[in-house]
Amino acid sequence: MLQVTEISKSFGDLRALDAISLSVGRGQIVGFLGPNGAGKSTTMRAIMGLIATDGGSMTWDGAPISSATRRRFGYMPAERGMYPKMTVRDEVVYFARLAGMQKRAAQAAAATWMERLGIDGRADDEVQALSSGNQQRVQLAIALVHDPELLILDEPFSGLDPLAVENMKVVLSEQLADGTSVLFSSHQLDLVADVSRDVIIIEAGRVVLQGDVSDIRQRAASRHVIVGFDAECDWQPAAPGVEVVDRHARRIHLRVPRSMDPASLLSSAGAAGHVVEFSFAPPDLSEVFLESIAGQNLHHSVLDRARAVR
Amino acid sequence: MTSTSVVRLVMSREIRQRLRSKAFAVSTAVLSIGVLGAGVLTRVLSDDGSPTKYQVAVVGELPDGFADAVAQTAKALDIEVRLQPAVQRQVADRRVRDDAVDAAIDVGAADLVSRNDPADELAAVIDNAWRVTQSRQAAADAGLDDSQIDEILSPSPLGSSVLEADNERDDGVGNLVGTTAAILLFIAINAFGGLVLTGVVEEKSSGVVEVLLAHVRAHQLLAGKVFGIGVIAMAQMSATIAAGLISLRISGRSIPLDVWIGLPTTVFWFLLGFVLYSTLFALAGSFVSRQEDAQSASAPISMVFTIGYLAVFALGTNPTSTVTRIVSVLPPFAPLLMPLRMSVGAASIIEIVVAAIGLIAATFGMLRLAGSVYGRTLLHRGSRLRWKQALRMRS
Repeated sequence: MLQVTEISKSFGDLRALDAISLSVGRGQIVGFLGPNGAGKSTTMRAIMGLIATDGGSMTWDGAPISSATRRRFGYMPAERGMYPKMTVRDEVVYFARLAGMQKRAAQAAAATWMERLGIDGRADDEVQALSSGNQQRVQLAIALVHDPELLILDEPFSGLDPLAVENMKVVLSEQLADGTSVLFSSHQLDLVADVSRDVIIIEAGRVVLQGDVSDIRQRAASRHVIVGFDAECDWQPAAPGVEVVDRHARRIHLRVPRSMDPASLLSSAGAAGHVVEFSFAPPDLSEVFLESIAGQNLHHSVLDRARAVR
Repeated sequence: MTSTSVVRLVMSREIRQRLRSKAFAVSTAVLSIGVLGAGVLTRVLSDDGSPTKYQVAVVGELPDGFADAVAQTAKALDIEVRLQPAVQRQVADRRVRDDAVDAAIDVGAADLVSRNDPADELAAVIDNAWRVTQSRQAAADAGLDDSQIDEILSPSPLGSSVLEADNERDDGVGNLVGTTAAILLFIAINAFGGLVLTGVVEEKSSGVVEVLLAHVRAHQLLAGKVFGIGVIAMAQMSATIAAGLISLRISGRSIPLDVWIGLPTTVFWFLLGFVLYSTLFALAGSFVSRQEDAQSASAPISMVFTIGYLAVFALGTNPTSTVTRIVSVLPPFAPLLMPLRMSVGAASIIEIVVAAIGLIAATFGMLRLAGSVYGRTLLHRGSRLRWKQALRMRS
């Protein structure tokens, strides 16, 4: 299991990481979320030994992470990192060998992964000749080829088409089933909800939320209520703390306190008209995130405007 | 996995990558063919190695002993002079004008006739024979007998003794070998040091260092790259030198002993010089993220190296001067200057040892220094690093 405890890193006056702690168990997948510049890549690079931290500790299965340990990790940086003029096959084999695999085993593993990721047809082409989506697959093959115990994937979904995203999800779930641990980052908070149940959300170098996605959402102070009528209706919900987010002729979107009883809301609406749609749900991850950081009102208005546009 | 096996993996990637590249194949072919071609050309253009022959027409009767004196001096100068009797001055003049003969002697007029200036060696031979025979005649006229004349004309030679032996062999071949070695080293270190430089920048700009350094240590990467490209450089140097030796044979010359002695020591200087400069080039490459900045980052190194190269020509003519002695033992210059000084025999054992130890120490020091900052500078992002900043990044 990966255990990162209170690592910090400053670049000059900028405190990039401020006592970040996180853990990833065996066979667990953890989504590492946060807006751009929050410190996700810096944390991952610190785990991979690419930057020295100012303090804190990092262990794998209880032992401090050494360069020998890291050879059992697979890493995919946010920006592509490959030799542009090597062939796909040579590239994947080379990194397998650097991770300590024997020649034969490396060649076999490279062949397997190129096939699984659908790039075996391009095996003898130079990497630079591939489309960016295919280069991303080569990068993933490099991260996976030595059958790592821990995968550190920095923005693995960015730049992928929906089909490739699905392919990536399948590959990851197979790895998880084999007991591989995965830490992946994304700045698109809501996109990862179906990939991993466990998330860590950071902002400005600090962990602001972590745990099970549905728990986090349930803990949010508000709920979203959507009520649809079969005809135009001017129902005015009269209860403390109810906020109208958006209103159409036959449909109303409210934000209400978590404590509000959905049944009483539904009966109030039912009295005003014939209800054909009713939902009562916690906010999604990005809203919880925005709620949890400072300046809530401002963020609400931003969020509401975003919803209105939708 | 051991450190050596990592370095070997990195090396073999570098070697394979270069062997695949067209630039390497082309440059090796061009160098080898060029050197071979020079040999063939020399062979075609040069004569067969026999002494130069001169024809000289003679007007009038030559004094006694003239032909003997000519033959003797000509032999010493490795030329052949043939004297053709010609009765008339006009005939002789015409032959000279038609280039049928190289010169004519008019004995009566005491005149050497030639179309333009006569060849120096020919003029010397004729002039000497003339003086000898004239002196002999004058001495005989003065009433001296033959033995007295011989005594006057063949004084006992002046001996010579040397108080401070100078072991400099100013034979030209040593100088040629040393200068050629310096030129080859300059070309090779520039070309292959340049490959190291662009190779490092490519790794940085393509972002592949991020993945590499997640698996291997920076100093392993550095060593693998420098040694891998070093192997390639040695291969090309060997091909060029082999072509050079074959070329010498083709041109009909024997390979001087100095070349055989000079080769292994040149290889020694080359290897160390290459590692020293390539490590510097790698370091400079790790300061920048774009190929466009590579040249400016490496400019200080190229400048020092070029100064060393120019010193070969500026100081090479005076290989025992104090300045030359001092400059040639300095590590950045030793690889270029020592082969030259050694091949002309101007370097003392102490100087060679001092230069070699200094260079070995500097190379090791450079490898250690580079190893300690390379990881940081390689992962540095953004604007180009300065040497001062980089040295402060030492871990």
